[in-house]
Amino acid sequence: MTGAPTAGSMLRGVATIVAFALIVVPILIVVVAAFSPNDYFQFPPPGLSMRWFVEFFRLDNMRSAFALSVELALASATIATILGTLAALALARRGGAAGGLLQSLFLAPLVFPTIILGVALLLLYKTIGMPVFAGLLLAHCVVGMPYGFRTVLASAQALDPALEEAGQSLGAGPLRTLVLVTLPLIWPGVLSGWLFAFIVSFGELNTALFLTGPGVTTLPIEIFSYLQFQGSQLVIAAASSVQIALIVVLVAVIERIVGIARITRAR
Amino acid sequence: MKSAWTWFLLAPPLALALAFFVVPVAYLFWVSLHAASPSELYGASLTLRHYTDVLGDPFYLAIVRRTVGIAAVILGLCLAIGYPVAYFVALLPVRRRMLAILLLLFPLMVSNVVRAYGWVALLERRGVVNTALRDLRLTDAPLELLYTPSAVVVALMTILLPYMVISIANALAALDRRYEEAAQALGASPARTFLHVTLPLSTPGIASGTLLVFLLTLSAYVTITLLGGPRSKLLVSLVYDNVTAFQWPRAAALAFVLLALALAFTALILALLRPGRVQGAGR
Repeated sequence: MTGAPTAGSMLRGVATIVAFALIVVPILIVVVAAFSPNDYFQFPPPGLSMRWFVEFFRLDNMRSAFALSVELALASATIATILGTLAALALARRGGAAGGLLQSLFLAPLVFPTIILGVALLLLYKTIGMPVFAGLLLAHCVVGMPYGFRTVLASAQALDPALEEAGQSLGAGPLRTLVLVTLPLIWPGVLSGWLFAFIVSFGELNTALFLTGPGVTTLPIEIFSYLQFQGSQLVIAAASSVQIALIVVLVAVIERIVGIARITRAR
Repeated sequence: MKSAWTWFLLAPPLALALAFFVVPVAYLFWVSLHAASPSELYGASLTLRHYTDVLGDPFYLAIVRRTVGIAAVILGLCLAIGYPVAYFVALLPVRRRMLAILLLLFPLMVSNVVRAYGWVALLERRGVVNTALRDLRLTDAPLELLYTPSAVVVALMTILLPYMVISIANALAALDRRYEEAAQALGASPARTFLHVTLPLSTPGIASGTLLVFLLTLSAYVTITLLGGPRSKLLVSLVYDNVTAFQWPRAAALAFVLLALALAFTALILALLRPGRVQGAGR
């Protein structure tokens, strides 16, 4: 970056170490704090204890928020991926203005400020009288659909059209071709789309902020309201570590099944 | 036949996108044009009052300015730190580069409330930083680090930094190294090569990283609230406050001011950086 190559590479090395420290340290602190034996977090910790995890699963509101978050993520990721896959298959070989417009529409929730979507949906739900869980589920479907759409679109566009034509010319209808030929070939795209939609729903804040109700709260929103109204107690660190642990497992699954290369290309 | 099948595939996702994305946002805009009502969600008469109120009130304008200012600082820091890091990552051998990208992707998957809480644990009165300063006898009383604009900047900057690094690193890794070699062979210094070859060719990455960081800053209500407290409110906090006060038309108008800010910035970045002119940059 500068005159002498050594100065430039040193600067890059230092910047990289600082950046990774700033990104990773706050997450590590949360995990370390979760294992504290005391009422308050001390660093370095005087010992290790599981008491805050026990406390987390003992608190009704925490346990039910965790269960709701998992149910919501499973359901919304599944619906979002099915719908995203349908949209991707319909648009994979469709150019033109209409195709481009529809593609932008399906990708729009990725860049649209989700806080506005949250307010807009709350207003709509108040007007038509939507049950809380159904409303939250539909919101997370909208937020998750672009992930399934994007990964499947990439897989479907890389597909050799001759394979589908072969299926059709051998007498299979469009549905049979889809199930027996297309789906097995685009499967990695479908799966990574589902995992992404799950992860996004599981940590989502901006629509859930408006759409959760009394007794129907997601884990991130429960953590947020605890921090706001009860201060930072260590049970929050345990709740956060449960969130982190689930993500670690999912990332390991993604890496094993589809490989990390696919994700970086999809970004 | 072919087109009937396409419509059959397209109908369910299109229905979701229209009914729960396009329609509610259009409805929100419609509500922003109405007078407030004490009993209903919004009044019967049409008015532009909420927009003229927001754009004419010094209180609101100060918060809009603060929002833009804080977003600009976050963006500047993300670029200044993110570019050299992306350069470092892009030059790594393939396997180690993948590992670095995985390390950057993982934090993005952890909920922002967890990452914001990490910063709260570091910065609060009895937090890690204050305890360390006390133990080193550098301070007598704990420093008020939390609930300041700086806390918002530091936390949001680090939360969003991976987006910038990944965007730029992908652009730099895809760059054909022969352009740089050609420039050097023709006698350009490393600095000149960087300014005239590498930097312009990485603009698609800069543009997408910049847009992601700015747009996500505008929406980051939870991080802003936890780190900034009640005194460092931004535009998104006003949207939330008006919703909880049932001021629907005003909340709607503020939401569209936020959206206008997002669109104006997107147009500005696309016009300034023109990412489309780099060949093969289309995604």
